[in-house]
Amino acid sequence: MCSASRRNILELDGVDYAYGKRDRFIRGLSFSVGEGDFVGLLGANGSGKSTIMKLASGLLRPSAGSVRLWGRDLAAVGHRDRAKLISYLPQTLDINVPFTVGELVGMGLYPYDIPPAMTVAEALEMTGLTDKADARLTDLSGGERRRTFIAMTLLQGAGLLMLDEPLANLDIKYQIELVRLLRKLRLERNISVVMALHDINMALQFEKVMLVKEGNLIGEGSPENVLSRSMLKQAFDVDVEVRRSGNEGVYISLQDHF
Amino acid sequence: MSRAKIAALILIPLLIVLASLFLGPRSINPLALDGVEREILLNIRLPRVLVAFLMGAALGASGAVLQGVLRNPLADPYILGISSGASLTAALGIIGGLTFLGAFTVPVLAFIGALATGSIVGVMGWKRGGLWPERLLLAGVGLSFLFSALLMLMMSISTDEGLRRAMLWIFGDLSLSEWKRVPYGLGFVLAGIVLSATRAKALNALILGDEFAYSLGFAPHRERFILFVSVGLMTAASVSLGGMIGFIGLLMPHIMRFFIGSDSRMLIPASALGGGALLCIADLISRSLLPPMELPAGVITAIIGAPYFLYLLRRKDVLSI
Repeated sequence: MCSASRRNILELDGVDYAYGKRDRFIRGLSFSVGEGDFVGLLGANGSGKSTIMKLASGLLRPSAGSVRLWGRDLAAVGHRDRAKLISYLPQTLDINVPFTVGELVGMGLYPYDIPPAMTVAEALEMTGLTDKADARLTDLSGGERRRTFIAMTLLQGAGLLMLDEPLANLDIKYQIELVRLLRKLRLERNISVVMALHDINMALQFEKVMLVKEGNLIGEGSPENVLSRSMLKQAFDVDVEVRRSGNEGVYISLQDHF
Repeated sequence: MSRAKIAALILIPLLIVLASLFLGPRSINPLALDGVEREILLNIRLPRVLVAFLMGAALGASGAVLQGVLRNPLADPYILGISSGASLTAALGIIGGLTFLGAFTVPVLAFIGALATGSIVGVMGWKRGGLWPERLLLAGVGLSFLFSALLMLMMSISTDEGLRRAMLWIFGDLSLSEWKRVPYGLGFVLAGIVLSATRAKALNALILGDEFAYSLGFAPHRERFILFVSVGLMTAASVSLGGMIGFIGLLMPHIMRFFIGSDSRMLIPASALGGGALLCIADLISRSLLPPMELPAGVITAIIGAPYFLYLLRRKDVLSI
C-alpha cells in the first residue's frame, strides 16, 4: 500500500481518557495518520469521534499514553508552534460573533509573526468567498459560514487538519463542494485531513476510514474493507445492505428498513 | 481601517482635552495668561483633566476587554463587583474619618478594596485549572450585592456629613483631583491598557470560543487570566482616582464598534480614547453649567452618552459583543 510508505505525522499510542471521575471512556487507543492521508472518522452519535479528535489535537490531555506530532511529544510543543502543525475546527460554530468574514479568516495568521505564503485574499478565493469579505457571519448561508471557518483553517497553514463534523447541517451540494475542495487542497499542498462524520455514504469517498464505537477503533482501512455489513452493524446497531455496483462504487442501501 | 478614521480617533479626543483645559466657568486664553490663570491652568485644570481622561480611558478599555472575555455585551467593569468593593472600603475611610495616609487615604483604601474584590472574584471564578466566564460573572454579581448591602448598612448608621461626603465620592467626584494622583493613576491605567492591547489577538480568538483560541495557538485560560488582571488593574485605578462613573465602561465599546468594528486590536485603544474624551466633556459640563456648584460627572456622562448611543442604535446595524 502506498500509505504504508508515507511518514507518520500523528501517532497516538496507548491513549486513555476519562471524563471527570467516570470510568475510562477511551482505553488504549492507538492509531497513526500519515503525510497526505485523507481519513474519515466514522461512528454513531456519542461514539467518541470528537473526544478522539480533541485528544489528537491536544485540547484534551490523555491520562495515559502518548500523542506525537511529527515525532514530537504534543504536550511539549509550544502553543504557537503547535498551531502551525495542526488545526482543529470544532463541530459547533458560534455564528453570533461580531467579526466580518475577512477579519475571521485573517485570524488564521495569528500564530505567525512573519505571515506564511498564503494571503487572506487567496484563502477567500480558494473557498469562493472573495465577494463576502466584508459580510458578517450572520448574513451568510450555512455553507458559506462553514467555508469561512475552513478558509481560516487553511490560512493557518497547518499540515494536519482535524475537522469535527464539518459537513453537519450542510445541504448535499455544500457537502460535496467541501469534500472536493479539501481533496484538491490535499493534492496541491500535501496537507493531511482527518474528518469526523457520520454519513456512511460520504465515508465511502475517503481513502481511509476509521470506525469508532464507544471510544474504541473497531476498524481501520479502505472503505471497501471497513464498511462491511457486519462492521456497520457493530458500529451503528443497524443491519444495512452494502451494495457494490460496477463503476458507481459502493453504496449503502436502506431500502429494507422502510 | 481608513486613515481618516484613525486621525479622527486621535484628533477629536485631543481637541476635547484642550477644550476642557481652556474652557470652563472661567475661560482661559492660552496666548495671554496672567498669574492667576497660569495657576488655575497648571495646578487645578491640568491635573483634573488628566485624572478625568485616565479614569474614562481605563473604563472604556476595560469594558472592551471584559465584554470579550465574558462573551457578554452587557458586561461592564463594575459587573465584577470591583467597584462595590472599592466603594465599601472608601466609604469606610470617609465615614470613619480615617486619615493615616493624609489625602491619599481614601484612594488607597479604594484601591485595596478593588484589588481584594477582584482577587476574590478571581478565586471564585477559578475551577479545574482556569477562569470560567460564567463563574466570574456570577461571582462578581454575588459579591456586588453583598458589598452594596454592607455599604448601605454603613451609610444608614453614619452621620449626615459623613454620608454626604461618601455619596459624593461614590457618584464620582473629580473636584479632588490633584497632581499627586496623576503618577499612580497613569502607571496603573497605562499598564492595564498596554497589557490588554498586547493580548488583543488572543481576546479576538477567545470571543470565538476556547476551542478556536486553542487551535489558533493560544492557551485560553492563561490568556483569560492575563486579561482579567489587566481589567482589575484599570478598574481599581479608575475607581480609586475618583469614584464610580457609569455608562462609559458599558457603552463606549459599543459606540466604538459602530465606527471601527470589533477587532480588539483597534477596539481597546479606541474605547480608551473615547472613554477618556467623554469623561473630559462630562467634567467640563459638570463644572460649567451651574458654577460654583459642580454636578456629578458620572450623571453627565450618562445624560449625554445614552441619547447618542440610542441614536446610533437606531441608525446603524448592531453587532453582537
